Amino acid sequence: MPGFALTHLHKSFGNTSVLNDISLEASDGEFVVLLGPSGCGKSTLLRIIAGLEAQTSGSVSIGNQTVDALPPRDRDIAMVFQQYALYPHLTVRENLAFGLKVRKEPSSVIEERIGEAAELLEIHDLLDRKPKELSGGQRQRVAMGRAIVRKPKLFLFDEPLSNLDARLRASMRVELKKLHQRLGVTMVYVTHDQIEAMTLGEKIVVMDQGRILQIGTPDRIYHQPSNPFVAGFIGNPPMNLIKGTVQANHKNLEFQAGDFTLRFNARVDITPTLGSGSAILGIRPEDVGLDPPGAIHITLSGTIDLIENLGGDHIVYLVAQGQRLVARTSPDSRRRAGDSITAYLLLNKLHLFIHEQRTLLESYK
Amino acid sequence: MTKPFSERLALIIGIAVAVLGSLLPFIWFVLTSLKSQIQVEAIPPTWWPDGSIVFYQSAIIDHQLFNYIWNSVIVASSTTIIALTIATPAAYALARIRLHGKVWILSGLLCVAMFPQIVIAGPVWQILKHIGGLNTHWGLVLPYVTLTLPLAVWILATFFKELPHELAEAAQIDGCTTWQALYKVMLPLAAPGLFTAAILTFIYAWNEFFFALLFLTDPAKQTLPVGIALFQGEFTMPWGEIAAASVLATLPLIFLVLLFQRGIISGLSSGAVKG
Repeated sequence: MPGFALTHLHKSFGNTSVLNDISLEASDGEFVVLLGPSGCGKSTLLRIIAGLEAQTSGSVSIGNQTVDALPPRDRDIAMVFQQYALYPHLTVRENLAFGLKVRKEPSSVIEERIGEAAELLEIHDLLDRKPKELSGGQRQRVAMGRAIVRKPKLFLFDEPLSNLDARLRASMRVELKKLHQRLGVTMVYVTHDQIEAMTLGEKIVVMDQGRILQIGTPDRIYHQPSNPFVAGFIGNPPMNLIKGTVQANHKNLEFQAGDFTLRFNARVDITPTLGSGSAILGIRPEDVGLDPPGAIHITLSGTIDLIENLGGDHIVYLVAQGQRLVARTSPDSRRRAGDSITAYLLLNKLHLFIHEQRTLLESYK
Repeated sequence: MTKPFSERLALIIGIAVAVLGSLLPFIWFVLTSLKSQIQVEAIPPTWWPDGSIVFYQSAIIDHQLFNYIWNSVIVASSTTIIALTIATPAAYALARIRLHGKVWILSGLLCVAMFPQIVIAGPVWQILKHIGGLNTHWGLVLPYVTLTLPLAVWILATFFKELPHELAEAAQIDGCTTWQALYKVMLPLAAPGLFTAAILTFIYAWNEFFFALLFLTDPAKQTLPVGIALFQGEFTMPWGEIAAASVLATLPLIFLVLLFQRGIISGLSSGAVKG
């Protein structure tokens, strides 16, 4: 059984199109993260799945059922909101029971489910309090409890941790992951935080300007970004992106940016079709070294602009052959800003984007 | 930091002057109602009454004051209940639904509230005559509801707008219909707005004089303001009875405001969302 499926979804508000041809499928029990900058349409997409917003065209199904014509209450979903949305006039116990009471579940079932959720989330002591008497973290737990007691087919999370402080956010992230493992239910999680996406998601959907730019596992998204946006959005500090031009023929492919040139062997199947034009070369900061690596690499000479000490790592900002680069290196107290250095770029870690698309590199000449 | 004594004193004096100023006519009426006929007509006027309750007896027994009070209770309560029943869903829709021309609807409502009564009195009288509404309580309630609706909708819409949208959405996902979300979640939270709108509507209907005078000519149906106004005879002005009746007419309002005030708990919605 599929967890949920979206087929060719479009959404516009008046003349403004906010979602364009969104198609997405998740298997049962999968943790899907919708990731993108604010205004990319990820929350709207979540609201369409929930039925709180109607799509302009396209279709949504949950489980094996098409739910386009169903109101939120009949979609068998639960949602945790960014602002918690606990009912302030009800106690925690009444908040948890609310959805079950509306659905006329017998009181024995309600008591049992509240007990289970309270145990799972460790909120036993809070059951008789009102939301205003709870801390942010406690409110977030209750909001999750309200979703859990319903035992829905699909959980929806709309940036649920964004109001918590960094420490609490990290611990709630771990708890969410455990919760997913215990419940085994399909979850859709909206966030703009790449760390949340990478740590929680089994499938990450990167969105920008109402479109899906890439769908993949965290590893795939990180190591094989399909376009420059994804490459630059994931990772901290972000991937180094060098803008230049390519010229391709049946023999080789040449990338040039200022006085920096790279030549690759041509791939007979694709290279001749690329022609010439603008291109972007990418490399992650951890793949730029300041000490000679064992693997095949190219070298650039330059100077250190600035060093950020993160304790375990140093983030080194460089200017090399006219290009600004960021390197993540192991700490070396001898380096100073202004020093002349040689930067080593790992060849098998280079990403080349031509016409906004990732291009497979065969080998370097 | 506490304010300096002189500043606090000035504040207390200011408040006292404002409260006394607005209470003065009422205090004078209470004093008058407890005077004897001789004291009322004395020149120069006496300040302190001798505590007579003759005027109260006269107002209640001779002028059948309770009859007027009962009529007012019926008219004002009906107006309040009907106006709020209509205004609540209207205000909720105006606050929640994305609607083109919402500003025009709200402005239009405000315009209705601004019509001078004298302008619509004639047409309303004609309509009521046609539908048999003259000299009936419902004939008075009908225009009262029309005239109080805009204010009630405005007050409630303002309250609904300030409640977080997510609460209604959470309720819908929890299994509520739009109506259930309204009365199970949003309405309890908008209680302060509901009480405010109720009090203002009730006070309007309780005190309204012009339409009541125009549409109710049967003394058995007349409301308090009309009844009290008609205490006066061709050659007499029974100040004492009027004062006693006015005091009795004001008591239910004071009682209601005190009662509803307990419902107006500020910060009821705190804790719903982050904060």
